[in-house]
Amino acid sequence: MTSLGFRRLGVALTLRSMIFVAPASLTAQAPTPVVMERAGYLAWLKHAANSPLFAVAQRPVGTGLRLGPPDADVPLEGVAEHRLTGDGGIVRLDGPTEKEQSGGGRSFQLGTYKLFLSSSPSGPVVTVFEPPSGKQPPGYYPYHSSLVFIGPMLPPEQPGKLRVLGTDGIEVEGTEVGAVLVPLGGTTRLRVLRIPLGGEESELEIFFRDGSNGDGTYPAGRFVSLIPAGAGKFRLDFNMARNPFCAYSAIYACPLPWRGNVITQPIRAGERYMGGGLEAPEVEGDPK
Amino acid sequence: MMVALLIQSAVTVAAGSSPAGSWNAVLDLAGGQLPFVVTIGRDTRRWKGQLCNGDSCQSFSAVRVEGDSLVLEITDYDAIMKAALRADSLVGYYHNVGSNGPRTIAFRASRGRPRATTGSKHLLGRWDATYFQDQGTSPRVFEFRNGSGGFEGWIISSTADYGPFAGAVVGDSFAIGLFDGSFVYLLTGKLQGGTLRGTFHAGLRTQTPWTAVRSTGAPHLKSPTEVTGADTTERLRFSFPDLEGRPVASDDARFRGKVVLLDIFGSWCPTCHEATPALVRLYRRYHARGLEVVGLAFEATGDTAVDARQVRRYRDKFGIPFPLLLAGVNDNESLAAALPQLHNLSAFPTTVFVGRDGRVRQVYAGFHGLATGPHASPAREFEDEIERLLQQRGE
Repeated sequence: MTSLGFRRLGVALTLRSMIFVAPASLTAQAPTPVVMERAGYLAWLKHAANSPLFAVAQRPVGTGLRLGPPDADVPLEGVAEHRLTGDGGIVRLDGPTEKEQSGGGRSFQLGTYKLFLSSSPSGPVVTVFEPPSGKQPPGYYPYHSSLVFIGPMLPPEQPGKLRVLGTDGIEVEGTEVGAVLVPLGGTTRLRVLRIPLGGEESELEIFFRDGSNGDGTYPAGRFVSLIPAGAGKFRLDFNMARNPFCAYSAIYACPLPWRGNVITQPIRAGERYMGGGLEAPEVEGDPK
Repeated sequence: MMVALLIQSAVTVAAGSSPAGSWNAVLDLAGGQLPFVVTIGRDTRRWKGQLCNGDSCQSFSAVRVEGDSLVLEITDYDAIMKAALRADSLVGYYHNVGSNGPRTIAFRASRGRPRATTGSKHLLGRWDATYFQDQGTSPRVFEFRNGSGGFEGWIISSTADYGPFAGAVVGDSFAIGLFDGSFVYLLTGKLQGGTLRGTFHAGLRTQTPWTAVRSTGAPHLKSPTEVTGADTTERLRFSFPDLEGRPVASDDARFRGKVVLLDIFGSWCPTCHEATPALVRLYRRYHARGLEVVGLAFEATGDTAVDARQVRRYRDKFGIPFPLLLAGVNDNESLAAALPQLHNLSAFPTTVFVGRDGRVRQVYAGFHGLATGPHASPAREFEDEIERLLQQRGE
């Protein structure tokens, strides 16, 4: 392990003492914030009207979409023909009896379906949801305190802004802010992007693949957040790894794996996968 | 660790077994504890309560006891706090939902009131701060003072004025927070020589290091009118549904030849709550002379039913007489797509002044007055601009 590498939490008291919050992760049980965040996320997946578990279609609005009939761009059972058209930031829904318009981030009700509009640098995107129906999210592996790390962030190899797909398969502008070294599968370098959340908030995100992908975890990889831990250190907790939305429904575009960011060792922690999503996108010259 | 010690040392514990009383509360952020106070009381029919940052308090929309849990609702921000109620503690979470999932932060409290602590003269006053994030910097102004509730502070950016932050100070170190159900902000710092150094915490995980030096009086921030640019070669175009789904567009007859203020806001945005009463007053004062105001709401969830409900509440709370339109969600992409003629639209609220000819004349980011410090309303500047535009002729 190099001096710049991430170290397992609890291996060295000097490192542990740098953590701002109590090192509850040294126990076998998940710390309260982890339990709480997971519970909140699972509840959202199970019940929210725009939960990715209930998504049935996602398409760029582009020059227009037909919805409803079996031969439409987006067939929707029991829905008469409707047309969705975009004009700048405005999206219009025209049907046999109604004409509605919406801004880029709004929703329409269409029969039992709900249409949510998202904005992307390439134009509006519509995602169609069926009503929440008792589908269950995949859940999590048991908590492993050995998969919590703390260490410094290295400077980025190529600083600057770049567009990537977010968890929901929609383009977002991130900033390449650095990399971390983790002692897994030898020493693995993981690139870190800052993804804006709105206002003063942002998330330091790592999209990674590992040896468990396709064998218990989602084939295309998972996201995990890097958490500032004070004194120039960051905490990386693979128990908080979460699926891109394409793992819940094949209608979502899957983020392309970030170049590098491959841990050869299986990481059996964080969110699991039980099928239903897409196969992993391939990246030329990038070993899976 | 310092924050924990500050909070613990400032607490006077009292005993009790019902939720009634005062609670020293914290949100457990990744980098520290955000302090605030919850007070719970009861009238003859129901529980009620307040969330306080120092002397600045707001009422919860609803307070309920469900079994052994206390539930606190903040409907303005579609937020909820739920905690297991024990004799002397509350342990639970704060939760609100955005378009891509929930934000859940651990919340806990112990009985008692914080002991007010005051800052020394070395800390008080106005500071020019610089935030460091990634490879860039951005300016802020901090203002600290001792209020009746102890040490408090404000953070002023080129587009926003946050405060009051309240918390504790020990010697030359402080930890002050602002939590109102929507903003989750914590400012920690320490005076070293003549320089303040610390971290600004936003939400659960965002942490931004900063340094600050005494303000010299020279401008440190961009003027609010220099933040957002506009294409002034053409008429500003917009078209969005109102809360009943009817389209309202810039081409409508009601706007023709009028001076129009576009209020870009969100019901989730506390600064917007400060700005809206001023806009209502301006509308009532100048409408007969040719002023129209339109609120463009950029909401949290993207679910029209949910967001329309939030905006109706907002309308009713402030008695807003002008149209409010559902324009998008509160992310940069949605803002840019909704109003492509505006550039670097990044502040909530932002007020766009449109002349009688339909072209943008000024864009004012945020709602604060840089010249006179926190709480300074730009309403007078808005009046001057409206007067000027009303006197101009349209095309």
